[in-house]
Amino acid sequence: MVNPPLKVSPGFAVPFAEGRLVPCERLNRELEALFLARETEEYRNPTPSHIPQAEMFESRFNLFRWPESCVQELRAFMLDSVARTVLETSTLVPAELARLKIHNHTWYHITRYAGSFVAHNHPLASWSAVYCVRPGEAPADRPGSGLLRFLDTRAGAGSYLDAGNRALRAPFATGAREVRLEAGQIIVFPSYVIHEVSPFYGRDTRITVATNCWFGG
Amino acid sequence: MNAPAATLMPIFATPFAEIALPVGSAWNESLAALLTARATEEHRDSGVRPDPLCYLSREDLFEWPDEPIAALRSKLLAGLRPAVLAATLHTEAEFDQLGVQARARFAIIRPDGCLPAQTLALASWCAIYCVAAPPAPAGRADSGALRLYENRLGGMFADATTWRMRPPFAGGHHLWRPLPASMAAFPAHMAHEIGLNRSDRDLVLVIARVRFANPGQQAAPPW
Repeated sequence: MVNPPLKVSPGFAVPFAEGRLVPCERLNRELEALFLARETEEYRNPTPSHIPQAEMFESRFNLFRWPESCVQELRAFMLDSVARTVLETSTLVPAELARLKIHNHTWYHITRYAGSFVAHNHPLASWSAVYCVRPGEAPADRPGSGLLRFLDTRAGAGSYLDAGNRALRAPFATGAREVRLEAGQIIVFPSYVIHEVSPFYGRDTRITVATNCWFGG
Repeated sequence: MNAPAATLMPIFATPFAEIALPVGSAWNESLAALLTARATEEHRDSGVRPDPLCYLSREDLFEWPDEPIAALRSKLLAGLRPAVLAATLHTEAEFDQLGVQARARFAIIRPDGCLPAQTLALASWCAIYCVAAPPAPAGRADSGALRLYENRLGGMFADATTWRMRPPFAGGHHLWRPLPASMAAFPAHMAHEIGLNRSDRDLVLVIARVRFANPGQQAAPPW
Protein backbone atom coordinates (compact mmCIF):
# COMPACT_ATOMS: atom_id res chain seq x y z
CA MET A 1 0.00 0.00 0.00
CA VAL A 2 1.29 3.43 -0.90
CA ASN A 3 1.18 5.86 1.97
CA PRO A 4 -0.99 8.85 1.10
CA PRO A 5 0.71 12.23 1.41
CA LEU A 6 0.75 13.72 4.87
CA LYS A 7 1.53 17.36 5.39
CA VAL A 8 2.83 18.46 8.78
CA SER A 9 2.96 22.15 9.62
CA PRO A 10 3.19 24.27 12.77
CA GLY A 11 -0.24 25.16 14.04
CA PHE A 12 0.22 27.95 16.54
CA ALA A 13 3.45 29.54 15.49
CA VAL A 14 5.14 32.35 17.42
CA PRO A 15 7.18 34.69 15.22
CA PHE A 16 10.73 35.44 16.31
CA ALA A 17 12.93 37.68 14.16
CA GLU A 18 16.69 37.80 14.52
CA GLY A 19 18.92 40.40 12.91
CA ARG A 20 22.41 41.88 13.11
CA LEU A 21 23.72 45.38 12.92
CA VAL A 22 26.89 45.23 10.83
CA PRO A 23 29.22 46.83 11.66
CA CYS A 24 28.20 47.51 15.25
CA GLU A 25 31.49 48.10 17.04
CA ARG A 26 31.61 51.92 16.87
CA LEU A 27 27.95 52.36 17.76
CA ASN A 28 28.16 49.91 20.64
CA ARG A 29 31.26 51.64 22.02
CA GLU A 30 29.45 54.97 22.00
CA LEU A 31 26.30 53.51 23.53
CA GLU A 32 28.24 51.73 26.25
CA ALA A 33 30.13 54.87 27.22
CA LEU A 34 26.92 56.90 27.30
CA PHE A 35 24.97 54.31 29.28
CA LEU A 36 27.69 53.85 31.87
CA ALA A 37 28.01 57.59 32.29
CA ARG A 38 24.28 57.84 32.95
CA GLU A 39 24.05 54.92 35.35
CA THR A 40 22.80 57.36 37.96
CA GLU A 41 19.72 58.00 40.04
CA GLU A 42 18.65 60.71 37.61
CA TYR A 43 18.32 58.20 34.81
CA ARG A 44 17.19 55.16 36.81
CA ASN A 45 13.62 53.92 36.28
CA PRO A 46 11.81 55.40 39.31
CA THR A 47 8.91 52.93 39.17
CA PRO A 48 10.32 49.47 38.53
CA SER A 49 7.70 46.80 37.99
CA HIS A 50 9.75 44.07 39.63
CA ILE A 51 11.92 43.70 42.70
CA PRO A 52 14.97 45.88 41.93
CA GLN A 53 18.43 44.39 42.15
CA ALA A 54 21.63 46.15 43.04
CA GLU A 55 23.33 44.10 40.33
CA MET A 56 21.16 45.47 37.55
CA PHE A 57 20.55 49.05 36.50
CA GLU A 58 17.35 49.80 34.61
CA SER A 59 17.00 53.18 32.94
CA ARG A 60 13.86 55.22 32.48
CA PHE A 61 11.70 54.16 29.53
CA ASN A 62 12.35 57.27 27.43
CA LEU A 63 15.67 56.25 25.92
CA PHE A 64 14.68 56.88 22.31
CA ARG A 65 13.88 60.50 23.18
CA TRP A 66 17.51 61.14 23.98
CA PRO A 67 19.00 63.36 21.26
CA GLU A 68 22.45 61.79 21.17
CA SER A 69 23.31 60.56 17.69
CA CYS A 70 24.26 57.07 18.83
CA VAL A 71 20.86 56.64 20.47
CA GLN A 72 19.05 57.91 17.39
CA GLU A 73 21.10 55.59 15.21
CA LEU A 74 20.09 52.67 17.38
CA ARG A 75 16.48 53.86 17.37
CA ALA A 76 16.40 53.76 13.57
CA PHE A 77 17.84 50.24 13.49
CA MET A 78 15.62 48.80 16.19
CA LEU A 79 12.34 50.32 15.04
CA ASP A 80 13.12 49.41 11.44
CA SER A 81 13.71 45.82 12.57
CA VAL A 82 10.35 45.81 14.33
CA ALA A 83 8.60 47.31 11.29
CA ARG A 84 10.15 44.74 8.98
CA THR A 85 9.02 41.99 11.33
CA VAL A 86 5.48 43.34 11.20
CA LEU A 87 5.55 43.33 7.41
CA GLU A 88 6.93 39.78 7.33
CA THR A 89 4.32 38.41 9.69
CA SER A 90 1.14 40.38 8.95
CA THR A 91 -1.00 41.24 5.97
CA LEU A 92 -0.08 44.91 6.22
CA VAL A 93 1.58 46.34 3.13
CA PRO A 94 4.36 48.93 3.37
CA ALA A 95 2.06 51.80 2.45
CA GLU A 96 -0.32 50.90 5.28
CA LEU A 97 2.49 50.50 7.77
CA ALA A 98 3.97 53.85 6.74
CA ARG A 99 0.76 55.58 7.82
CA LEU A 100 1.10 54.18 11.33
CA LYS A 101 3.09 55.73 14.12
CA ILE A 102 5.29 53.36 16.07
CA HIS A 103 5.01 54.29 19.72
CA ASN A 104 7.61 52.86 22.03
CA HIS A 105 8.92 52.51 25.54
CA THR A 106 12.63 51.90 25.40
CA TRP A 107 15.22 51.46 28.12
CA TYR A 108 18.59 49.90 28.80
CA HIS A 109 19.87 47.40 31.32
CA ILE A 110 23.37 47.18 32.73
CA THR A 111 23.81 43.85 34.44
CA ARG A 112 26.71 42.85 36.65
CA TYR A 113 27.69 39.63 38.44
CA ALA A 114 24.62 37.72 39.73
CA GLY A 115 22.16 40.13 38.18
CA SER A 116 19.08 38.74 36.46
CA PHE A 117 15.58 39.71 35.43
CA VAL A 118 12.49 37.81 36.44
CA ALA A 119 10.06 36.30 33.92
CA HIS A 120 7.61 38.83 32.52
CA ASN A 121 5.80 40.00 29.42
CA HIS A 122 4.67 43.42 28.27
CA PRO A 123 0.96 44.26 28.36
CA LEU A 124 -0.34 46.99 26.07
CA ALA A 125 2.33 46.43 23.47
CA SER A 126 2.30 44.27 20.36
CA TRP A 127 6.00 43.82 19.60
CA SER A 128 9.09 43.82 21.76
CA ALA A 129 12.76 43.72 20.84
CA VAL A 130 16.07 43.32 22.61
CA TYR A 131 19.37 44.62 21.19
CA CYS A 132 22.73 43.59 22.56
CA VAL A 133 25.28 46.33 23.14
CA ARG A 134 27.65 44.11 25.08
CA PRO A 135 27.05 40.43 25.89
CA GLY A 136 29.53 40.36 28.74
CA GLU A 137 31.84 37.55 29.71
CA ALA A 138 30.55 34.02 29.17
CA PRO A 139 32.35 31.91 31.78
CA ALA A 140 33.05 28.44 30.41
CA ASP A 141 31.79 26.75 33.56
CA ARG A 142 28.51 28.72 33.60
CA PRO A 143 26.77 27.83 30.34
CA GLY A 144 23.50 29.19 31.66
CA SER A 145 24.88 32.65 32.39
CA GLY A 146 23.09 35.69 31.06
CA LEU A 147 20.73 33.89 28.71
CA LEU A 148 17.66 35.54 27.28
CA ARG A 149 15.11 32.82 27.87
CA PHE A 150 11.68 32.71 26.24
CA LEU A 151 9.17 30.45 27.92
CA ASP A 152 7.02 28.14 25.85
CA THR A 153 3.64 29.71 25.13
CA ARG A 154 1.97 26.30 24.92
CA ALA A 155 1.30 25.99 28.62
CA GLY A 156 0.75 22.41 29.70
CA ALA A 157 1.93 20.94 26.40
CA GLY A 158 4.83 19.24 28.15
CA SER A 159 2.87 17.86 31.07
CA TYR A 160 2.29 14.49 29.50
CA LEU A 161 5.33 13.00 27.86
CA ASP A 162 5.85 9.54 26.45
CA ALA A 163 7.94 7.98 23.74
CA GLY A 164 5.72 9.50 21.11
CA ASN A 165 6.24 13.14 22.02
CA ARG A 166 9.35 13.27 24.19
CA ALA A 167 11.69 13.78 21.23
CA LEU A 168 9.76 16.18 19.06
CA ARG A 169 11.90 18.09 16.58
CA ALA A 170 11.92 21.85 16.03
CA PRO A 171 9.61 23.74 15.78
CA PHE A 172 7.34 21.27 17.55
CA ALA A 173 9.51 20.49 20.58
CA THR A 174 8.23 21.92 23.84
CA GLY A 175 10.29 23.84 26.34
CA ALA A 176 11.99 27.17 26.72
CA ARG A 177 13.99 28.79 23.94
CA GLU A 178 17.31 30.27 25.03
CA VAL A 179 19.38 32.89 23.26
CA ARG A 180 22.93 33.89 24.12
CA LEU A 181 22.97 37.37 22.69
CA GLU A 182 25.95 38.63 20.72
CA ALA A 183 27.01 42.23 20.19
CA GLY A 184 24.89 43.85 17.48
CA GLN A 185 22.22 41.15 17.58
CA ILE A 186 18.54 42.02 17.81
CA ILE A 187 15.64 39.69 18.64
CA VAL A 188 12.10 40.82 17.84
CA PHE A 189 9.20 38.89 19.34
CA PRO A 190 5.53 39.29 20.28
CA SER A 191 5.14 41.19 23.55
CA TYR A 192 2.94 38.47 25.02
CA VAL A 193 5.80 35.96 25.19
CA ILE A 194 7.02 35.50 28.74
CA HIS A 195 10.78 35.99 28.90
CA GLU A 196 13.52 36.38 31.46
CA VAL A 197 17.25 36.89 31.79
CA SER A 198 19.07 34.17 33.68
CA PRO A 199 21.67 35.22 36.27
CA PHE A 200 24.75 36.74 34.66
CA TYR A 201 28.03 35.41 36.03
CA GLY A 202 30.50 37.41 33.99
CA ARG A 203 32.98 39.61 35.82
CA ASP A 204 32.23 42.55 33.57
CA THR A 205 28.96 44.05 32.33
CA ARG A 206 26.13 42.85 30.13
CA ILE A 207 24.37 45.74 28.39
CA THR A 208 21.14 45.47 26.43
CA VAL A 209 18.47 47.80 25.10
CA ALA A 210 14.83 46.73 25.13
CA THR A 211 11.85 48.31 23.42
CA ASN A 212 8.11 47.73 23.54
CA CYS A 213 6.18 48.98 20.54
CA TRP A 214 2.55 49.69 19.84
CA PHE A 215 1.13 51.02 16.60
CA GLY A 216 -1.44 53.75 16.04
CA GLY A 217 -2.24 56.99 14.32
CA MET B 1 -30.62 54.50 43.67
CA ASN B 2 -29.27 51.41 45.40
CA ALA B 3 -26.35 49.71 43.74
CA PRO B 4 -27.28 46.23 42.57
CA ALA B 5 -25.80 43.41 44.60
CA ALA B 6 -22.79 41.71 43.14
CA THR B 7 -21.29 38.43 44.17
CA LEU B 8 -17.59 38.29 43.52
CA MET B 9 -15.69 35.04 43.60
CA PRO B 10 -12.46 33.62 42.23
CA ILE B 11 -12.85 31.13 39.42
CA PHE B 12 -10.14 28.98 37.86
CA ALA B 13 -8.32 28.94 41.17
CA THR B 14 -4.94 27.25 41.58
CA PRO B 15 -4.38 25.22 44.74
CA PHE B 16 -1.25 26.10 46.65
CA ALA B 17 -0.57 24.53 50.03
CA GLU B 18 1.93 25.45 52.68
CA ILE B 19 2.55 22.63 55.12
CA ALA B 20 4.64 22.53 58.26
CA LEU B 21 6.00 19.02 58.65
CA PRO B 22 6.24 17.78 62.23
CA VAL B 23 9.99 17.35 62.40
CA GLY B 24 12.48 18.70 64.84
CA SER B 25 15.41 20.86 63.93
CA ALA B 26 17.88 18.14 64.86
CA TRP B 27 16.23 15.69 62.47
CA ASN B 28 16.30 18.25 59.70
CA GLU B 29 19.92 19.13 60.33
CA SER B 30 20.82 15.46 60.23
CA LEU B 31 18.99 15.13 56.91
CA ALA B 32 20.82 18.17 55.58
CA ALA B 33 24.13 16.61 56.58
CA LEU B 34 23.25 13.37 54.80
CA LEU B 35 22.22 15.13 51.60
CA THR B 36 25.21 17.44 51.63
CA ALA B 37 27.54 14.46 52.02
CA ARG B 38 25.91 12.77 49.04
CA ALA B 39 26.12 15.81 46.78
CA THR B 40 28.72 14.07 44.66
CA GLU B 41 29.23 13.23 41.02
CA GLU B 42 27.87 9.77 41.74
CA HIS B 43 24.47 11.15 42.68
CA ARG B 44 24.35 14.14 40.34
CA ASP B 45 21.71 14.21 37.61
CA SER B 46 23.83 14.06 34.48
CA GLY B 47 20.84 14.92 32.34
CA VAL B 48 20.68 18.54 33.39
CA ARG B 49 23.07 21.32 32.48
CA PRO B 50 25.90 21.30 35.03
CA ASP B 51 25.88 24.30 37.30
CA PRO B 52 28.54 24.70 40.00
CA LEU B 53 26.12 26.84 42.00
CA CYS B 54 23.16 24.47 41.90
CA TYR B 55 23.58 20.80 42.62
CA LEU B 56 20.72 18.60 41.42
CA SER B 57 20.67 14.94 42.35
CA ARG B 58 19.14 12.19 40.27
CA GLU B 59 15.46 11.66 40.87
CA ASP B 60 15.97 8.47 42.83
CA LEU B 61 16.13 9.90 46.32
CA PHE B 62 13.12 7.93 47.55
CA GLU B 63 14.82 4.73 46.45
CA TRP B 64 17.71 5.20 48.84
CA PRO B 65 17.74 2.57 51.60
CA ASP B 66 18.67 5.06 54.33
CA GLU B 67 16.17 5.26 57.17
CA PRO B 68 16.03 9.08 57.22
CA ILE B 69 15.05 9.08 53.54
CA ALA B 70 12.29 6.55 54.12
CA ALA B 71 11.08 8.72 56.99
CA LEU B 72 11.23 11.80 54.79
CA ARG B 73 9.13 10.11 52.12
CA SER B 74 6.58 9.10 54.70
CA LYS B 75 6.40 12.56 56.26
CA LEU B 76 6.28 14.32 52.91
CA LEU B 77 3.40 12.20 51.61
CA ALA B 78 1.58 12.47 54.92
CA GLY B 79 1.92 16.23 54.74
CA LEU B 80 0.70 16.31 51.18
CA ARG B 81 -2.35 14.19 51.94
CA PRO B 82 -4.58 16.82 53.61
CA ALA B 83 -3.70 19.39 50.97
CA VAL B 84 -4.64 17.15 48.06
CA LEU B 85 -7.66 15.84 49.90
CA ALA B 86 -8.90 19.37 50.50
CA ALA B 87 -8.52 20.23 46.83
CA THR B 88 -10.41 17.21 45.49
CA LEU B 89 -13.89 15.77 45.75
CA HIS B 90 -12.65 12.53 47.26
CA THR B 91 -13.82 11.50 50.68
CA GLU B 92 -11.13 10.44 53.11
CA ALA B 93 -12.09 6.82 52.60
CA GLU B 94 -11.90 7.17 48.85
CA PHE B 95 -8.64 9.03 49.04
CA ASP B 96 -7.06 6.36 51.16
CA GLN B 97 -7.82 3.82 48.44
CA LEU B 98 -5.68 5.71 45.95
CA GLY B 99 -2.27 4.44 45.11
CA VAL B 100 0.48 7.01 45.42
CA GLN B 101 3.64 7.21 43.36
CA ALA B 102 6.42 9.67 44.06
CA ARG B 103 9.87 10.45 42.82
CA ALA B 104 12.17 12.97 44.38
CA ARG B 105 15.54 14.62 44.06
CA PHE B 106 17.42 17.03 46.24
CA ALA B 107 18.83 20.38 45.31
CA ILE B 108 21.59 22.34 46.97
CA ILE B 109 21.51 25.93 45.86
CA ARG B 110 24.76 27.65 46.71
CA PRO B 111 25.22 31.37 47.28
CA ASP B 112 24.56 33.16 43.95
CA GLY B 113 22.96 30.00 42.57
CA CYS B 114 19.39 29.46 41.46
CA LEU B 115 17.14 26.80 39.98
CA PRO B 116 15.86 27.91 36.58
CA ALA B 117 12.20 27.76 35.66
CA GLN B 118 10.75 24.32 35.17
CA THR B 119 7.51 22.41 34.99
CA LEU B 120 7.27 18.80 36.02
CA ALA B 121 5.85 16.27 33.59
CA LEU B 122 3.88 13.11 34.30
CA ALA B 123 2.82 14.11 37.76
CA SER B 124 -0.13 15.94 39.24
CA TRP B 125 1.58 17.51 42.26
CA CYS B 126 4.91 19.05 42.99
CA ALA B 127 6.02 19.13 46.60
CA ILE B 128 9.05 21.14 47.66
CA TYR B 129 10.34 20.45 51.14
CA CYS B 130 12.85 22.75 52.76
CA VAL B 131 15.67 21.00 54.59
CA ALA B 132 17.83 24.02 55.26
CA ALA B 133 17.41 27.67 54.38
CA PRO B 134 19.39 30.74 55.27
CA PRO B 135 17.42 33.88 56.01
CA ALA B 136 17.04 36.36 53.18
CA PRO B 137 19.42 39.29 53.38
CA ALA B 138 17.78 42.64 54.00
CA GLY B 139 16.15 44.04 50.89
CA ARG B 140 16.32 40.69 49.11
CA ALA B 141 12.77 39.44 49.43
CA ASP B 142 13.11 36.91 46.65
CA SER B 143 16.46 35.47 47.71
CA GLY B 144 16.15 31.71 47.47
CA ALA B 145 12.38 31.97 47.25
CA LEU B 146 10.11 29.66 45.30
CA ARG B 147 8.54 31.74 42.57
CA LEU B 148 5.44 30.32 40.90
CA TYR B 149 4.88 31.97 37.57
CA GLU B 150 1.62 33.70 36.77
CA ASN B 151 -0.32 31.38 34.51
CA ARG B 152 -3.32 33.57 33.68
CA LEU B 153 -1.96 34.86 30.43
CA GLY B 154 -4.95 36.83 29.28
CA GLY B 155 -3.64 40.03 30.79
CA MET B 156 -2.00 41.58 27.77
CA PHE B 157 -4.69 44.23 27.82
CA ALA B 158 -4.59 46.19 31.05
CA ASP B 159 -6.36 49.35 32.13
CA ALA B 160 -6.67 51.45 35.25
CA THR B 161 -8.76 48.77 36.99
CA THR B 162 -7.04 45.55 36.03
CA TRP B 163 -3.68 47.12 36.78
CA ARG B 164 -4.61 47.29 40.46
CA MET B 165 -6.59 44.16 41.21
CA ARG B 166 -6.67 42.90 44.77
CA PRO B 167 -5.82 39.37 45.92
CA PRO B 168 -6.69 36.77 44.75
CA PHE B 169 -7.44 38.50 41.48
CA ALA B 170 -4.21 40.46 41.09
CA GLY B 171 -1.83 39.21 38.43
CA GLY B 172 1.81 38.46 39.04
CA HIS B 173 4.03 35.71 40.30
CA HIS B 174 3.57 34.07 43.70
CA LEU B 175 6.51 33.99 46.10
CA TRP B 176 6.96 31.48 48.87
CA ARG B 177 9.89 31.60 51.23
CA PRO B 178 11.22 28.17 52.20
CA LEU B 179 11.82 27.74 55.91
CA PRO B 180 13.33 24.62 57.43
CA ALA B 181 10.67 21.91 57.89
CA SER B 182 8.13 23.71 55.69
CA MET B 183 6.78 22.36 52.44
CA ALA B 184 4.93 23.85 49.48
CA ALA B 185 2.63 21.83 47.23
CA PHE B 186 1.09 22.92 43.95
CA PRO B 187 0.10 21.49 40.56
CA ALA B 188 3.14 20.04 38.84
CA HIS B 189 2.34 21.73 35.54
CA MET B 190 2.95 25.17 37.02
CA ALA B 191 6.16 26.85 35.94
CA HIS B 192 8.30 27.62 38.95
CA GLU B 193 11.85 28.53 39.86
CA ILE B 194 14.02 29.04 42.89
CA GLY B 195 15.29 32.59 42.85
CA LEU B 196 18.92 33.51 43.22
CA ASN B 197 20.25 32.68 46.67
CA ARG B 198 21.64 36.04 47.81
CA SER B 199 22.74 34.75 51.20
CA ASP B 200 26.11 33.30 52.14
CA ARG B 201 24.85 29.81 52.97
CA ASP B 202 23.36 26.88 51.07
CA LEU B 203 19.67 26.33 50.51
CA VAL B 204 18.79 22.62 50.63
CA LEU B 205 15.50 21.44 49.14
CA VAL B 206 13.82 18.16 48.28
CA ILE B 207 11.66 18.34 45.17
CA ALA B 208 9.11 15.60 44.59
CA ARG B 209 6.80 14.67 41.75
CA VAL B 210 3.72 12.94 43.08
CA ARG B 211 0.75 11.30 41.39
CA PHE B 212 -2.15 9.16 42.47
CA ALA B 213 -3.84 6.16 40.87
CA ASN B 214 -7.40 4.95 41.12
CA PRO B 215 -7.98 1.58 42.80
CA GLY B 216 -7.41 -1.16 40.29
CA GLN B 217 -5.69 1.12 37.84
CA GLN B 218 -3.25 -1.19 36.15
CA ALA B 219 -0.82 1.15 34.54
CA ALA B 220 0.54 4.62 34.85
CA PRO B 221 2.74 6.18 32.22
CA PRO B 222 6.39 5.51 32.90
CA TRP B 223 8.21 8.33 34.59
